[in-house]
Amino acid sequence: MTEPQPFSPKSVALLEEIRKKYPTGRAALMPALYVAQEEFGWLRPEALKAVAEFLGLPEMTVRSTATFYSMYRHRKAGRNVIRLCTNVSCMVLGAGTLKGVLGNVYGLAPGGTSPDGRFSLEVADCIGACGKGPAMIVNDDLHTGLDAKKILEVLENYK
Amino acid sequence: MTSYLLDVARNRNIEEYEKAGGYQGLGKALFMEPGQVVEEVKKSGLRGRGGAGFPTGMKWMFMASDPKSPRYIVCNADEGEPGTFKDKALIDKNPHVLLEGMAIAGHALMAGLGYIYLRAEYPEERGILEAALKEARAKGYLGENVMGSGKKFDIHVHMGAGAYICGEETALIDSLEGKRGQPRLKPPFPVNSGLWGMPTMVNNVETLSNLPFIMREGALRYAGIGDPSCPGNKLFPVSGHVERPGVYELPMGTPLREIIYEHAGGIKNGKALKAVIPGGISAPVLAPDQIDCPMDFVSVQKAGSMLGSGAVMVFDEDTCIVRVALRTLEFFEHESCGKCTPCREGTGWLKAILERIETKQGHGGDIQLLEDVCRNIAGNTFCPLGDGAASAALGFIRHFREEFTEHIRSGCRYHREQGQAQP
Amino acid sequence: MILITINGKKIELDGPVTIFEAARRNGIDIPSLCHHPALELWGGCRMCLVEIEKMPRLQTSCTVKAADGMAVYTETPRVVAARKAMLEFLLINHPLQCPTCDKAGECALQDLTVRYGAVAGRFEEGKRTFPENVDDPVIVRNMERCIMCTRCVRMCDGVQGAFAIGVVGRGAGSHVEPFSGGRYNCEYCGNCLNVCPVGAIMSRLHRYTYRPWQMDKTVKTICSFCGVGCTILLEVRGDAIQKVSPAFGKGVNNGLLCGRGMFGYGYAGSPERLKTPLVRKDGKLVPASWDEALALAARRLLEVKAQHGGRAIAGIAGGRCTNEENYAFQKFMRAGLGSNNIDSTARLGLLHAQDLLEGIFGQGAAANVIRGIPHSDAVLVVACDPTRTNPVMGLQVRAASKAGKKVVAIGHAPGLKRHMTHHLSAAFGHEGIALAGLLRELLRQKKALPGENPEFEAAIMGFSELPSPEEVRRLAGVPEAALTQAAEALKDVSTSSIIAGRELAASMDAKRNFMLLAAIGYVLNSRFFLVSEHPNEQGLIDMGCTPDMLPGGRPLALQTFRERCEHEWGARLDPEPGLTLMEMFEQAGGAIRAMYIMGENPAFNLPGRKKIKEALEKKLDFLVVQDIFLTETASLADVVLPSKAWSEKEGTYTNLEKRIQKLAQATGKNHEAGMEDWRILALIGRLAGLGNMPYASASDIIDEIARVSPLHAGLRYEDLEEDGMMWPYKGKPLRMSGGMQPLPAAKAAATLDRREEDTGQTGPALVIEKPLFHSGSLSRHSGALLDIMGGPEAKMAPGTAAGLGICEGGSVKISTAEGEMVLKAKLEKGLPAGAIFAGNNFGDAGALGLFGYELEPGSKTPVPRAEGLEITPL
Ligand SMILES: Cc1cc2nc3c(=O)[nH]c(=O)nc-3n(C[C@H](O)[C@H](O)[C@H](O)COP(=O)(O)O)c2cc1C
Ligand code: SF4
Ligand code: FES
Repeated sequence: MTEPQPFSPKSVALLEEIRKKYPTGRAALMPALYVAQEEFGWLRPEALKAVAEFLGLPEMTVRSTATFYSMYRHRKAGRNVIRLCTNVSCMVLGAGTLKGVLGNVYGLAPGGTSPDGRFSLEVADCIGACGKGPAMIVNDDLHTGLDAKKILEVLENYK
Repeated sequence: MTSYLLDVARNRNIEEYEKAGGYQGLGKALFMEPGQVVEEVKKSGLRGRGGAGFPTGMKWMFMASDPKSPRYIVCNADEGEPGTFKDKALIDKNPHVLLEGMAIAGHALMAGLGYIYLRAEYPEERGILEAALKEARAKGYLGENVMGSGKKFDIHVHMGAGAYICGEETALIDSLEGKRGQPRLKPPFPVNSGLWGMPTMVNNVETLSNLPFIMREGALRYAGIGDPSCPGNKLFPVSGHVERPGVYELPMGTPLREIIYEHAGGIKNGKALKAVIPGGISAPVLAPDQIDCPMDFVSVQKAGSMLGSGAVMVFDEDTCIVRVALRTLEFFEHESCGKCTPCREGTGWLKAILERIETKQGHGGDIQLLEDVCRNIAGNTFCPLGDGAASAALGFIRHFREEFTEHIRSGCRYHREQGQAQP
Repeated sequence: MILITINGKKIELDGPVTIFEAARRNGIDIPSLCHHPALELWGGCRMCLVEIEKMPRLQTSCTVKAADGMAVYTETPRVVAARKAMLEFLLINHPLQCPTCDKAGECALQDLTVRYGAVAGRFEEGKRTFPENVDDPVIVRNMERCIMCTRCVRMCDGVQGAFAIGVVGRGAGSHVEPFSGGRYNCEYCGNCLNVCPVGAIMSRLHRYTYRPWQMDKTVKTICSFCGVGCTILLEVRGDAIQKVSPAFGKGVNNGLLCGRGMFGYGYAGSPERLKTPLVRKDGKLVPASWDEALALAARRLLEVKAQHGGRAIAGIAGGRCTNEENYAFQKFMRAGLGSNNIDSTARLGLLHAQDLLEGIFGQGAAANVIRGIPHSDAVLVVACDPTRTNPVMGLQVRAASKAGKKVVAIGHAPGLKRHMTHHLSAAFGHEGIALAGLLRELLRQKKALPGENPEFEAAIMGFSELPSPEEVRRLAGVPEAALTQAAEALKDVSTSSIIAGRELAASMDAKRNFMLLAAIGYVLNSRFFLVSEHPNEQGLIDMGCTPDMLPGGRPLALQTFRERCEHEWGARLDPEPGLTLMEMFEQAGGAIRAMYIMGENPAFNLPGRKKIKEALEKKLDFLVVQDIFLTETASLADVVLPSKAWSEKEGTYTNLEKRIQKLAQATGKNHEAGMEDWRILALIGRLAGLGNMPYASASDIIDEIARVSPLHAGLRYEDLEEDGMMWPYKGKPLRMSGGMQPLPAAKAAATLDRREEDTGQTGPALVIEKPLFHSGSLSRHSGALLDIMGGPEAKMAPGTAAGLGICEGGSVKISTAEGEMVLKAKLEKGLPAGAIFAGNNFGDAGALGLFGYELEPGSKTPVPRAEGLEITPL
C-alpha cells in the first residue's frame, strides 16, 4: 500500500481554510483538487488519495469527480500551461493559425507537452476574451489580441 | 440612457461605488420585509439574464414559499457560453454591484450564505471578487450583521474547473457539492431542493446585478426601461468581425443592427455581413436580412433563434460557415456531460459528419443525415445542452444549405481562395 | 387515488408512482436501459420515452410521476421513432461483438434492437474503443460495450455503499473503472455486474463456457454461506452450476448478494469433494463401499452403546445442514443412541445470546425482519460488523444510513465506516462497558421511560454504578464526547434496531452485556438481530440440536413435551440434559467414547485446537464424520461418509430472522458419491436397528417436524413458496413475548466490575477477523474466493506495525501458549491501534488455533483467550 503523500504545511493551511467554507467535506473537493494539483504537479493517484484522505472521501469518488473537469491535469504537464482559445469568435480571428505557430516553433500539439517540458498546450473552449481575440491563458495570465508575432513575444516571458 | 451595470470603471473601488449610490439599494431592502422585496422584484418585471429569460420575481416567489432552511443564494458566474464575456466585464468593472445584488437576494430569500460559482478561466476576476468581498465585509455590508440589521449574509467564491455544463443550474449545484457536474432531475427544482437539498436560488451575475438599481430606484422606474415585456438594461457582448468588439450596456430590445453597426462600429475592414449569432453559440445563426430584430427574449425567438446570453457573434462575408458549424459541434461534443444517450452519442456523430464535409470527404445524403441526427437529438435530451447543439447545427444548415452542398461537391471555397490551412 | 390512462386503458393508482411503474404493474412493457427498481432514478438512456397528452416533448416515463388525468401513449409512431433513434445512437459506438459476447441472449440492448428493428449502419466513422480489461481475477470489463446507463455505479455507491467504481472522464469518453483502473479493490458483491444490462461488466467465472439459452434450468434456492439466507438463482447446465444470479424483487435480499453468495458457489463442484466413503484401516483412511462404511458405523456405534451406554456418545450437528438433517440428527442421537450429548458451534455465542434475550423478552425475541431495518429511526450495531458476517443485512444498515437514520456502532465495524453517524470505538471485549455508559447517558438525557413494564424499569433503574463517560473512556477507550453525542442522537428515536454479535455472549460478562442490551433495547423500542455465521445456525437450534432442548425450543426437562417426543419417536428419552460442545471434547476418553459429527469441522473451528485434535485422534474409541470434504476433522475419523452439498438436495434453512426457506435441488441428481445427511442417518439407523426413520424425502421429515414441534405445528413443505415463512410459522411459541422479565442475575450482573481492564493500549491483541470473502473452512474450496483473497494474512494498522517493527508484506510470527503461526503482514489504515487481525479460514493458518478458552460457567460458552501472546517480525 502506498502511503498517501502528505500535504505540505502550506497546503494543509489552505485546505483547512477551504474546508471552512462548506458544510460538507465533499463540497470542498474541487478547491482541494486545485491545491493538490499545485502541490503534486498533476493529479496523479497519490494526489487523489491524499485529497480523499484529507476530506474523508472514497478515493473513487475523488477520481470520478476530478476526471469530469478539463482544468484538472491528469497527466504530467509542462512548466507552463497554455490554454489557447480556438472557439468560434477567436477562430474567425485567426486562432487556428496560432495553433500552427505553436506547433512549428515549440513542437506543441493540442493536449501535448513540448519536448523540453517548457510548455503544455490545451485547446480551450472560449475563455471569455472574445472581445479581444484571439486570446490565451498562460498559467493564470490572460493574453489577448494575439497574432503570430505577438504570441511568440508573450511566450518568451515564460521559461 | 442610464448605465447602472458597467457605468464607470472607478466603481471597482468600494468608496467610489458608494459615492455612486452603491449599497443604498441594500439599505432600502433591509428596511423592508423579505416578502416585500420579493414583491418589488416581481413588480420590476426583471427576467433572468442567464439565458432562459425566466421572470426572476416568479422564481423568487417559489423559493420564498418553501420554509426549509438553511437556504442559499448562488450566483451563476460560470459564463461558459462561447462568445459571452459580459459577466466577466461586469465583475471587472463593477464587482460591488454583484455583491450588493446577492446581499439583497439573501435578505429577500432569507439565506445566510451565498456562493459565486466562477468559471476557472477567470482567475483574475477571482482576485477582484475576493478583494471586493474583503472591502464589503470590512464595511459591514456582508458578514454577521449586515448594515446593522442583525441579519447575517456572507459570500464565498467557488472556482469551477472547466465544464460548460456546469452553467446549467442543477449541474452547477452538483458541481458545487463536489460532484461530477451533471444535470439533476427536475422536479424538484433548486428553489425547493438545491444545494444539500435546501432551497437555493441560482441567478446569473447580470440578473443579480440588476437588483441594486431596482431597490434603489424602485421597480416602476426599472420597468420603464427598455422593452415592457422584458425591461431593464442588457449587456451585449459583441465579438467576431466588428470594428469595436466589446460589451455594450443597452436597453433590452435594442435592434441587432444598431448593436452591430452603431455601437460595435460595423463590420471590420468594411466588409459585408454574412451571418450573426445573436445569443451565444447555442443560438441558431441569423442571416443578414434578419438583423432588424429587436434584441429581447420574445423577438429573437420569433426570428427563429434565441436571445440566450445576448452574445452577438458577427461573421463577415469571407467566413466559412461549415467551418464555424464544425467548431461549434466540436465544442458541444467536448462539453456533453455524457449523461444522456442522444447528446453523448449524437453530438459526436454530428461533428464527424461535419468534419468529413469540411475536409471534402462528404457525400450526397450527408446534409439530410445531419438534419436527421439533429432531429433525433432535439427534444429527446435530458437537458437543454443537447437541444442547443442540434438547433445550432440546424440553424447553419437552414440559412447556408448551399454552402454545405458546395463543400460536398467541390470543397471549401474559402480555403482555396485564401490558401488557408485545413482545420 | 390517481386516475390515468395508458394507451387508452384506465389505470387507478393509490399513490404517486412513475408512469413506468404504473405501466409495469398493469402489464404494459415500456423498454428501459438505465432504469432499475433498486436504484436511484437516472433518466439518461432515453429509451423509456412516452408521449403524454398536452406535453409537447416526449417524456421519460421512468422519471415522470403519474398525475391525475394524464393520458399516456407508449408506442405511438413518434415514440417508436424516438426509441429507434436512441438505439441507433447507442449502436453507433457499440462494438457488435454479439457472437463472442457472453451477454448475448440476455442482453437488453440486443433484445431492444430485435424489438424495434435494427437500424441501417448510417455511421461511417470508426467506433470508440477501449481495451478489454482482465486485470481482475473475477470481473472483466469491456468498456466499449458500455452504454453509460450508470446502473453499476449507482448500485456500488447508492446501494452497496462501497464507492469502489465510478465514471471516469466526461461525455463520449466516459467509462467505468475502479480507482486503480485495473483490479478492483472492493467488496466483490458482484451487484454491479448483475445490473449491467449489456456485456460491459461481467463475471470471469463462466466466461466463454456457455450461452444463456444453453442453460438446462434455473433453480431458485437459498445461499449456503451465512445466516441471512439470500434467495439466489442457480443456473445449471449438465450437472454443474454455471452461474449464480440474484432475483430482484424476491427474498430477504431483493436481488442483492455478497461476494460469497455471488462468486463462492464453486465449492460444490470442487474436485476435492469426497467421492466415496472412507474407512480407517491400519491407521489410514481408505475408500470403501457405502455398504461397508455404513455397516461399520452401525456396528461400532452399537458396540460403544452396549459397552458404555448411550451417554458415552456425543454428536455435533451442522449449521450448514438443513433443518430436516438436523432434526434427524438429534432424533438419531436421542431416540436411537439414547444420548442428549448434542451440540453445535451455535455454542460459540449465538445460542447463549439467544437464550439471554429470550430469557428477558420471551421466545422469538430476535425474530425480526431484516428488510425492516432501514425503517427504524436508529440502528445500534454492537460488537459485530454485519457488513462482513451477514453482508446483506449490513446493506440494510447502510440503507438506513442513506435514509438519514442514526447509525451507532459500538466496537470495530470497518464496513460501516462511511455509514455510521456515531462510533463508540470500544476496545475488543469491552463493548459491554460502552453499553453500560450509553445506558447511563440515555437514562440521564431521556425525559421519561416508556412505562410499559414497571418491573423491568425498576430493574433498569436499579443498576448500580453505571460508568460515567470519563470512566468509559478510561476502561474501554471510547471518547467522552462520542458517548454523550450518541446518547443525544438516540434519546428521542421512536423505533430502533439493535444488531449484536455473538462475541457479546462469548464473554464472562455475557449476562451483564445482554441485560444492558435489553435495557437499551427497551428504552429505545428496539427490534433485535443476532448475527449468525452459518446458514442454518438458527435452524439447528430450533430442531433441538442442543443438549437441553427438544424441537421447537421446548426444554427437555418439560415432561409433557418429552413424552410427546417419546410417543412420536417410539423410544424412551433420557431426561438429563447432555454435555455441551466443549465438555464433549474435555471428557473424551472418559465419559465420552465415540462421536458423531455431521457437517462440522471442530478440529479447526474451535478454540483449544490442540486438545480437540488430540481428543478426536487419540481419546475416542470411534469417530464418524459426515462431510463433503476431507476436513481437518474428517481426516481424524474412523468412518467418513460423503454427503451432498447444498445445491444437491432439498430441505429447508432457517435464517437469522427465523424465516424458514426452501432449498431446491439443482445439481447432483446423478451424484452417486454423496447422500443427504438425513439419508445417511436413516440408513445407519436401519442397519443398527436404531430409531425409526422411514423417510423418503425431506418433505417427509418436515411432516414429522410439524407433528413433533409445537412451533412448527401444521407446517407443510408446500407452504414454503416465495419468501418462506416467518417465526412462529403456523405454530405457537413457548411463551409469548410481552411477559418480559429482567434476568434473575441482572442486578448483580449490571454492576460493573471495575477491574482496570486492558483497553488495548497496553500491548497488542489478537482478534479473529471475519473476512467478507470467506466462510469458515468451506470457502477455501471456492476458486473465485481464493482468487479474491488467496491466503491468510495478519492485518494491522500502520502505526501498530511500526511499533512492532513489522513492514507491509513481511512475515510475522504470532505465538501463544497454544501454538504459533507465521503470517504475512498486511497494513491497513483505520484499524484500531494495537489489534492484529487474523482469520480462521485457511489450512494451517487458522488463527483460532492460537486461542485457548475458558468456559462461561452458566452457558458453557467458550470464551477464547490468547494467553502469552507474542508478536515478532521475522
Ligand atoms: C447547458 C446550459 C448552460 C448554461 N450556462 C449558463 C451560464 O454559463 N451562466 C448562466 O448564468 N446561466 C447558464 N445557464 C442557465 C442556467 O441553467 C440558469 O437558468 C440560470 O443560471 C438562471 O439564472 P437567471 O434566472 O438569472 O437567468 C445554462 C443553461 C444550460 C442548459
Ligand atoms: S443533454 Fe444529456 S448528455 Fe448533454 S449535457 Fe445535457 S444531460 Fe448531459
Ligand atoms: S429508462 Fe428512462 S431514461 Fe433510461
